Amino acid sequence: MKKLKIDWTMVALSAVALALAGVAWWKGGQDLALEGLRQGFQTLVSVTPMLLAAFLTAGLTNVLISKELVERWLTTSAGWRGILLGCIGGALIPGGPYVYYPIAGSLLQSGAGLGVLVAFVTAKNLWSISRLPYEFALLGPHLTLVRYGLTLIFPPLLGYLTETLFGNTIERIREAIQ
Amino acid sequence: MIESTITLILIALFLLLIAWRRHDGSHVKGAQVGLQTLRRTLPLLVIAFIIVGYVNALEPQSLVQNWIGPGTGLQGVLIGTAAGMLLPGGPYVVFPLIAILFQSGAGLGPTLAMITSWAAIALLTVSFELPFLGWRFTRIRLGFGLLVPILVGLLGILFVG
Repeated sequence: MKKLKIDWTMVALSAVALALAGVAWWKGGQDLALEGLRQGFQTLVSVTPMLLAAFLTAGLTNVLISKELVERWLTTSAGWRGILLGCIGGALIPGGPYVYYPIAGSLLQSGAGLGVLVAFVTAKNLWSISRLPYEFALLGPHLTLVRYGLTLIFPPLLGYLTETLFGNTIERIREAIQ
Repeated sequence: MIESTITLILIALFLLLIAWRRHDGSHVKGAQVGLQTLRRTLPLLVIAFIIVGYVNALEPQSLVQNWIGPGTGLQGVLIGTAAGMLLPGGPYVVFPLIAILFQSGAGLGPTLAMITSWAAIALLTVSFELPFLGWRFTRIRLGFGLLVPILVGLLGILFVG
């Protein structure tokens, strides 16, 4: 029997949408409740060309940069070089958490250091190339630029700090997963 | 918005050209991957924009400004950080919601903190991290990661205003 999987994001967002519709109804009756829907669809339609381009860009980045390439790079590198490669690898790796965490896990098992792993995960989170088109399309160039600019330093910095302060715990981290 | 659209379309065309020049069907595959993602996320996208529409129609300007407005300083940055940690879903869902809050009067600092905290320390993502890297790793990364959105928010206020 197929197990029914509940998409909690969908549940949470639907609940918020319904609650807001309720508030609109309560404040302005049917008119305001319909007005919210109308404005929502109007905004969606107005960003559709940009969204299509964003999805296309993200899909192409996904195909152009292979996971295997990034993985091969990162397994053997350590020190400052490792941390920097971790940052670049994290920025380039496509896909959501169900893609990059398994990769980080296999990097851990093949001997990567703590700093490299933290740099990799943090760069994926903050420098992600594949998220860039969505951010640009939906939040606009100004916010996107400021956000990337201000977070630029953090992946290498956190990689370095964690390696220096906690680098010696990596064997225990590795053993706990095995 | 038109400039942004054109820029993105040009980038997409450029990548399409690179993929096409590989002569291995990468351009078709890339477009298919993009389309699949779109199809999979379309229901979420529609709901996200319905929320955007209601926020727009309800005009919550004074509420937004009180909590995370430009004058709210550290309080706004902390609320933004906490909200970002709780936001569910991918970029196509989260970014429209943050954009409408920004348009409704959220300050730059809180907005930057919210984006950064969703990106770096979202609680839903941590549930993927634990099985692959373990609690010890997550504890170290989150310990440092928690400071990042707060710093980014405060730096945003300081340098950009």
